[in-house]
Amino acid sequence: MKKKLMAILLAGAMVALTACGGGKADDSSAPSTDAPANDSQEADTSNDAEDAAEGEAATSELVDGKFAETRHITVEVYDRGNDGGTDPTNNMYTEYIKKGMLEDHNVEVEFVKVPRWTEVEEVNNLLAAGTAPDICVTYSYPTILTYADMGGVLDLSGYVEDYKAELTNLWDWLGETNIYWDKDPVDGTIWAIEGKLAVNNRINTFVRKDWLDKLELKAPTTTEEFEAMLVAFEENKDTLLGADADKLIPYSVSYDVGWRAATLIESFIDPDITDKELYVNGYDDRKLTQNGTKEAVRLLNKWYNQGLLWDNFALYGSGDTTEDDMMKAGYVGAFTHNWDYPFRNGDDSINVNLQRNVGEDACYIAIDPFDDAKGTHTKYVSSTAGDRKIFFPITNDEPLACMLYLDWISDPEHIQYLQIGDEGVTHNVLDSGAIQTVAATGDPIMNSGMNIDYTITCNGLHLASEELTKLSQAYNYGGIDPDIVAEADKIAQTDAVPAKNVNVGAIEAEANIGDTLSAKRDQVYDNAVIAAEAEFDSTWDSLLADYMNSGGQAIMDERAEKWQATFGDTDMLP
Amino acid sequence: MAKAKTSKPAVKKKEVTRSYLKRYWQLYFLLALPLLYLLIFKYIPMVYIQIAFKKYSIVQNVWEMPWAKNHGFEYFIKAFGNNDFRRALRNTIGLNLLDLLIGFPAPIIFALILNELCFKRFKKVVQTVAYMPHFLSWVIIASLALQLFAPGEGLVNMVVERMGGTSIPFLNDPAHWIGTYIGMGVWQNFGWGSIVYLAAIAGINSELYEAASVDGAGRFRKMWHITLPGIKPTIVVLLIMNLGNILGSNFDRPFAFQNNLVMNVADVISTYVYRTGIKGLQFSLTTAVGLFQSVVGVIFLLGANWLSRKLGERGIW
Repeated sequence: MKKKLMAILLAGAMVALTACGGGKADDSSAPSTDAPANDSQEADTSNDAEDAAEGEAATSELVDGKFAETRHITVEVYDRGNDGGTDPTNNMYTEYIKKGMLEDHNVEVEFVKVPRWTEVEEVNNLLAAGTAPDICVTYSYPTILTYADMGGVLDLSGYVEDYKAELTNLWDWLGETNIYWDKDPVDGTIWAIEGKLAVNNRINTFVRKDWLDKLELKAPTTTEEFEAMLVAFEENKDTLLGADADKLIPYSVSYDVGWRAATLIESFIDPDITDKELYVNGYDDRKLTQNGTKEAVRLLNKWYNQGLLWDNFALYGSGDTTEDDMMKAGYVGAFTHNWDYPFRNGDDSINVNLQRNVGEDACYIAIDPFDDAKGTHTKYVSSTAGDRKIFFPITNDEPLACMLYLDWISDPEHIQYLQIGDEGVTHNVLDSGAIQTVAATGDPIMNSGMNIDYTITCNGLHLASEELTKLSQAYNYGGIDPDIVAEADKIAQTDAVPAKNVNVGAIEAEANIGDTLSAKRDQVYDNAVIAAEAEFDSTWDSLLADYMNSGGQAIMDERAEKWQATFGDTDMLP
Repeated sequence: MAKAKTSKPAVKKKEVTRSYLKRYWQLYFLLALPLLYLLIFKYIPMVYIQIAFKKYSIVQNVWEMPWAKNHGFEYFIKAFGNNDFRRALRNTIGLNLLDLLIGFPAPIIFALILNELCFKRFKKVVQTVAYMPHFLSWVIIASLALQLFAPGEGLVNMVVERMGGTSIPFLNDPAHWIGTYIGMGVWQNFGWGSIVYLAAIAGINSELYEAASVDGAGRFRKMWHITLPGIKPTIVVLLIMNLGNILGSNFDRPFAFQNNLVMNVADVISTYVYRTGIKGLQFSLTTAVGLFQSVVGVIFLLGANWLSRKLGERGIW
């Protein structure tokens, strides 16, 4: 009898458990369809109301910029998963923000972490599940546009206008350029505002200075000289690496060829290219469809077949550290990357590691080797916009509190603290007054350089005073010689062409297609680089045709058409 | 009149059912658990199949979404017009057929060989070692493959090069990649797959073997005429289940193995759905693809089952 009772009890408990589990499953699956629907209706009606009486609402809700009742908002933050890093949602910098927001606006802030290298997928999932943070950040505008088309994104145009008086820091820092960057020219909607790039440097090519010295080579200033240098590295590999000679890679490129050979590719584009051509052929941010790119890749293909590139480059995907590790171990002669790439990450930077592993004089310096048709070294850099985009999903029911957050995070004082931290801990003040960043460990460690993951409206050093910023720029990389940084900065700005805003309204062909096309883009680049030299043309042409047929051509056609409609026959922007 | 005649047995039947239930209700109670699981995780989600026929929106209830064009078949038409989908379909069928052709007999052969071993301890060790890879995730196996087979730095290729050969593009040439992919699949699964067959072999009446020995049958004869026929029902059931999966594809194996150089042969339906659906936000399109995949899977399953019953085997139901 006892046994029987026990069995019944157990069975009952199990059923109860599954019922709970089922309930939970329902909770997580149902909101993806039901809850947002309700929210959207609410948001719709409140939007209408706000459009009419927003000004009044603002004054009645806020007293001295503070809410009467504590509000709660969630904010996306990238999780970079660095070694020895802190929890990106809970560390001394998040505490600083939380405390400040609570004191200044009576808003409680909660951070939600999203893995940096799969951010688009992750944000997609969160949006689809209706659990996206109130403030989302992404580099991908097409993603935002796709969700806006489905009615999943809040239109910010009303908020930035009506609360202008409350948002002085935001307006001062971003200005009309960044706030109106994505404004639709027809209906005036703003789905996202653009965070500002304080430094618009984009890419540099780096080379091992100690190798140049050892082989008595000059830093190359033309593409031919660069090629000769790569050959010299390969021929002298025994001198350079001794027993590890087989591991030497003269020029390292990753699977993302369009980025990791960008300076080379850009040097093959006509330096007198018109704004229209740059725009119409410019959907792909890796310049796949610009005229000239093919010839640049042909050169890479030649180098690959001569054994001057890394033969495994296409096998390692995004976020893999194998290539960085080879740089740190000292096997890589030259590479192209973000303008400050080997200086980033303080004590774990490539240059610091290189000195540790190879020797005091080992380091990467920036060079400017790729000359274009006019003999200049044109680099297509960003404007102040075109970096991170901030948007509010439709599930955001505290848009005002979120706008105040953006304002708070754009306050120069707050940016400065987040970027340089405490004196003596994360920075020192030099005799000249310049701020020198110190690589910290433990709690004050910054998971991202200068905490850019928290200063979402600002990317790049921006201290309260402009002079101080200039002075400190080169001291901003812990453990790195300031002269090297200053030189890299100078080279990144040489013949730089900032991007212009071509705002002709949304291009419908670009919606829903971004990831498919960028995956195809990488396939075109990678397969073309490794093709046998005789098969280069056919490989490139057939893969590019596939890219075009999969949506690339439709985008170009629509861009050309809308350019015509907006700017008429002129080829240059006004 | 007729009523009275039929109602009597019905009452009796009811009584029987009641007493039966009274006796065994605890077992039925326990059955509720898996049934509930199936209902919640397998049946309720089927409501969302309709996304395949609707224009998806993240903010609308699935019932509120508007129907897609072409009587709801817009996305099916779009999928079959899409080169990438057709390529993924071709690769899925091709890779699965190869898997079946090479991967399916492997555990049977292995089980037969193991069964013939006379050193019990050696047999146990071999068995355990062969099971091991089954417990590794594909991500780990793919990383292992990269360390072993990469051109240049891969261990195998280093050996080949030191011996004076040229490096073999195991992972970066489409034809070689298929070989590596299938080979790793067999390696991971043949040990684990053989368990079922070994169990089936253990169930064969040993008198049959003795009788065969008396008749002068050798090892191969016994294998051919007793062991294989003895496990034939098991083979057929597993074959049917495998055929049901001909269009299915697990996600992690191709995803972990593929790279930009071999996408032409490596992109299968599951990775295509992930890329265009989840990363590319085309949920309706990929639901349509998924539905198509399932329908074809069911057709294959039913077909194989029908065929096996035609051939005199039991089938799975």
